[in-house]
Amino acid sequence: MITRGVAAMPFPASWLSSLLKALSTLFGADLEPLEEPAVLALVEQARGGDRAARQRLYRQHVNRVFRTVRGLLRTDAEAEDVTQDAMLTALTSLGRYSPRSGTPFAAWLTAIAVNTARRRFRRRRPELTASGDLPDVPAADADPGDDVDSARQRAALLRAVAELEPREREIVSLRYGAELNAAEIAAQLRLEPGNVRKILERVRARLGERIEALMKSTGVSA
Amino acid sequence: MNETDLAALWAQLGPDARRRARIETRVFGWLEASETPLAGEWLELLKVDPVSGFAFAAVGAVSLGLMSPVGWIIALVLG
Repeated sequence: MITRGVAAMPFPASWLSSLLKALSTLFGADLEPLEEPAVLALVEQARGGDRAARQRLYRQHVNRVFRTVRGLLRTDAEAEDVTQDAMLTALTSLGRYSPRSGTPFAAWLTAIAVNTARRRFRRRRPELTASGDLPDVPAADADPGDDVDSARQRAALLRAVAELEPREREIVSLRYGAELNAAEIAAQLRLEPGNVRKILERVRARLGERIEALMKSTGVSA
Repeated sequence: MNETDLAALWAQLGPDARRRARIETRVFGWLEASETPLAGEWLELLKVDPVSGFAFAAVGAVSLGLMSPVGWIIALVLG
């Protein structure tokens, strides 16, 4: 019987992977990050006017840019605006990017994003409420699809990051949002790589403690 | 909290699907609008049709030629 034949067919993992990849591309982000040579090839094609390459380049990096600036700004809405501005600036200035300088494309792009966020940050005061309490309800612009635990974990992380010094916030955002290494962060912020490593170590410990404390106060396990 | 835990937690800060779609629509809408050749649009507006142009010029010349005697006759009649 046909149904028995279908039921007996194994479901290859590659099908699932292809399906996830197609869905991800459809909804605006590349699932698998490309290696630097492939990214540089996209940059070249996009410079030559290839719109598909430009869109692929955009989708490869938009989540990373958002995650980076989200740690620097007060709300998701601000991060959305800054991501939009930064992506526009980058895509219209691809001619200025030179891979020969040794800067990976992602580092160049996140430098634009951080500068855009800094300009926004100067215009508005950073969020830091007097009570360090987590909100009982998710923020108005939070995804309603998030479960309560992950919404609170996210809120705890944002609260803990907001309590850092601006320079620490930038370093930790570049490390975990932009996924840059200590040397790349140091080059971008004109610091010594050793200093960046020390700061990261210290900040990671502080964030861990703070997040744990915030989660305990709201009854959620970290 | 170690490096991996923090990286995993930070991954939650990414935009949701709606927000991502909104950013993409705005970015590519702006890019496409900025790439529409403005010079072409202006030339289209200013484009002169030779036949219509000649016709308008001819009508204008005839009008000027006629207006002087007509004005003179009207002035004479009212006069």
